[in-house]
Amino acid sequence: MLLAAPRFRRLRTKLTVLYAGLFGLAMLGASLVLFTVVERNAMQQVRGELVAAGTVFDRLLAQRTAQLGGATSLLAHDFGFRAAVATGDARTVESALTNLRQRMVVPIAFVVGVDGKIAGLHEPVASDQAAALWQALDAGQTSGVVQLGGTARHVVAAPILAPTLTGWLVLATNLDASEMASLQRLSAIPIQASVFQRDAAGRWQVAGGSDAPEPGLSRFIDAARRADAPSDVTTARGESVALVKKLPGMAGTPDSVLLLRYPLALALAGYRQLQLAIALTAIAGLIGTIFATWRMAQSITRPVSMLDAAAERLAAGGDAQVPVDGDDELARLAGTFNRMAAGIAERERRITHLAFNDLLTGLPNRALLLEHLEHALRHRERNGGTLAVLCLDLANFKAVNDTLGLAVGDALLKAMGARISAACDGFVARLGGDEFALVVEAGADIERLAEALLGAVEAPLHVAGHDVTAGASIGIALAPGDGNDSATLLKNADLALHRAKEFGRHSYCFFEEALNQRAQVRRRIESDLRLALKHGQFEMFFQPLFDLRKNRIGSFEALLRWNHPERGSISPAEFIPVAEETGLIVEIGAWVLRESCRLAATWPEPIRVAVNVSSVQFRKPGLNDVVLQALVASGLQPARLELEITESIFLDGTDATLAVLHSLRSLGVRVALDDFGTGYSSLSYLQSFPFDKIKIDRSFIQHLLTRQGATAIVRAIIDLAHALGMETTAEGVEENDQLMALRRHGCTSVQGYLFSRPVAAAGVHALLDAEAPELRAVG
Amino acid sequence: MRAWLLILILLTSMPAHAANLAIAVRGVDGKPIANAVVSVHLIDRPTPAPSTGHGFAVQQKDLQFSPFVLVVPVNSDVSFPNLDKVRHHVYSFSPAKKFELKLYAREQERLVHFDKPGIVPLGCNIHDQMSGFIVVADTAWAVRTDASGNAVLSGVPAGQVSLSVWHPWLRTPGNSMTKQVAVGANGGSDGFTVSLRPPPRAVGSTGY
Repeated sequence: MLLAAPRFRRLRTKLTVLYAGLFGLAMLGASLVLFTVVERNAMQQVRGELVAAGTVFDRLLAQRTAQLGGATSLLAHDFGFRAAVATGDARTVESALTNLRQRMVVPIAFVVGVDGKIAGLHEPVASDQAAALWQALDAGQTSGVVQLGGTARHVVAAPILAPTLTGWLVLATNLDASEMASLQRLSAIPIQASVFQRDAAGRWQVAGGSDAPEPGLSRFIDAARRADAPSDVTTARGESVALVKKLPGMAGTPDSVLLLRYPLALALAGYRQLQLAIALTAIAGLIGTIFATWRMAQSITRPVSMLDAAAERLAAGGDAQVPVDGDDELARLAGTFNRMAAGIAERERRITHLAFNDLLTGLPNRALLLEHLEHALRHRERNGGTLAVLCLDLANFKAVNDTLGLAVGDALLKAMGARISAACDGFVARLGGDEFALVVEAGADIERLAEALLGAVEAPLHVAGHDVTAGASIGIALAPGDGNDSATLLKNADLALHRAKEFGRHSYCFFEEALNQRAQVRRRIESDLRLALKHGQFEMFFQPLFDLRKNRIGSFEALLRWNHPERGSISPAEFIPVAEETGLIVEIGAWVLRESCRLAATWPEPIRVAVNVSSVQFRKPGLNDVVLQALVASGLQPARLELEITESIFLDGTDATLAVLHSLRSLGVRVALDDFGTGYSSLSYLQSFPFDKIKIDRSFIQHLLTRQGATAIVRAIIDLAHALGMETTAEGVEENDQLMALRRHGCTSVQGYLFSRPVAAAGVHALLDAEAPELRAVG
Repeated sequence: MRAWLLILILLTSMPAHAANLAIAVRGVDGKPIANAVVSVHLIDRPTPAPSTGHGFAVQQKDLQFSPFVLVVPVNSDVSFPNLDKVRHHVYSFSPAKKFELKLYAREQERLVHFDKPGIVPLGCNIHDQMSGFIVVADTAWAVRTDASGNAVLSGVPAGQVSLSVWHPWLRTPGNSMTKQVAVGANGGSDGFTVSLRPPPRAVGSTGY
């Protein structure tokens, strides 16, 4: 038979109910057992006490009997008394009896003659009672309980031998309430003692009483009389334990019994306390157990429910770590669970990676690319901006695979993947074969990126013992112009790629034609620029700086011009950035320095020449040598050479820059800070290096007379430079008023169309010779 | 012994129509009852008085009265020689004779005169267990049964007589039983079956 266990929703409830229930049952069982044992023990004790009381009574009765018997016998043997009884001296007998009564403190003393006559008894005695008493005495009984007069009496008798049996001397005490009371007082326990006698009807009556006894008591006495042990009796007065002791009756007289009753309520009072204490302890224990189990169950259920919650999170795909607390099985389970969750997460990650990444290069695969592209497009839609998709194809990959083997090909791809990743800040994916795709935010310069990528790919590669040079073609599509969904963009980028391939390797192509054109131009410039120097397409022009103190031309700024064979004169604004980006500026700049020095050497002293130096040149080590070479080759005095640098040189780090500046200065050349006031101007630069001149940017000069702030700034710069011992040159001066203001503020020299446009080398001498007086007059 | 003699004399002085009556006294269990006194009283004639005698004595020997039962004719003197080494205080409160004798050891003399017929129980105040009886007979025919429970009444006239038996422990009022019997001219025998109480205390071997 299976007991169906109830189902619980909460482990805590289950634990509490089960354990508390078990404990409760155990406690209940123990309590019940204890209860019963205590009860039984108590009853045993009570019965024992009752029996003891009964024994005490027996002893008392015996003692009393003996005592009375002794006194009775004594008198019965007294010669005088015997003489009085035998001679019928009633008065003497009477006085002796009275004396005895007083001495022994008994209510009754009398003489029963052998002939049955009773003397000395002052109560009426029924004849049958007297006959019964005589019979008993005649039979030899000397003590017992008889009905005498109206009540039961305990009699003690002694034969009077004078010299033959003449009669009996009888003492009688009453067995009434007062006797019982004294007996009860002697008992250690609160028993109720009463004497019962069987009446004519056979019922048991309280001796001396005539009212009906308590119902059932008579039957009880009948039953208990035979047993000599206490038993329970329930009457209207309540439950009690009672012991019935047979009182020695005289033969022929009705039986008497002594009923000792011990009310259970009194008897068990003490034990009830004990039982109550047991019950309370059990209840308190039960409550305590429930409470404690409820609390302690928490220590089990909380970790379990945390694991449960973590498992759910794990199922949902989220983070599923649980805190580990303790050393027991639950803690170990938590630890194992954590490791499992981490393992699952790791495996998931790896699977995802495998799903979304190319195995060879580790780059994202097409699937991930598409996903990323979609995501980026949505982002672009919301937040604006341009997105560029580049498709890159390695040029001679097939050849490498065929000639050097697949292993080398794989290594090449891996290396290229790394390089492309390194060169690009955006999302790089391998589409398969030798095709890569990139997704970048087109805030950056896409052309520069394309150039960088081509450069990265082109760099020689040493792979698997072979030197391999690869080339690449790149097709570029821009969102939103070239499409707004990934499929279109990729398709267009691919088309651009095909076009790029037609140009040959090492080229990139935009999808949009216009962009393409621009890129083309740029590319052409770059390629032409490489040749320009070789083909001597460069030419130096010079713009004079008018010294306001000396009121004559002080120096010329050297400006580079490019005479393109096809396009004609290309403005420096177009090609200088390209030169800087490609690094060609270093070569070109070196040529500029040499050429400028050479030409300046032909000018009259102390006319100086100011040459612009790009920060790119600065970064490249060896600038010092280049300058020195130019000076030496031209024979120009170093003091006549002025290098114009912009604040951007300080972007790379002040210390290195300062070192270069100081080394240049040590050559004896002058250094001027160009375009002061724009860009990352920092006054600390002025503090850190003793520039010879500060050139105020044309934007300040342009607004000199129109904006209030411009004047103040210009003046401040002039004053500052003056305070630092530096000269000032104002660039872009085009109006007389500007000139006047500058002169007034103390500007050292001015430069601009007001005086002269840049002229070719030949024109310098002309300018120097002319020195138009109007210029001198101005100011 | 003297009792026997007395009875014999009495019997021999009877008129010719006197006969011997042999009485057997038995207990309920058939055992012989000694120390029972059987007596005859005439019914419609006056009963002749017993003839006097002398030398009647009840000894105190070994803390007992000896004999246990003594039958004396009325107006006899009985002496109470104390043959013990201790004192005795002999007394009786019987209506027949009230007396007390403080008898010193080895005292021989002192007589008590019994002038009334009846039963005189003897007791010693000092020694409770001493018990004896003097039957003062008022009839010529009173005999004590012997150890075998028999007694012979001699010279009993024929005719209806009242036959009595007395024993100190007889369980009847007065400790006696009486019945009328017809005595034949040649005598006869009769008997009594008596029920006795147990002896009060340990009485001497002269008793029951």
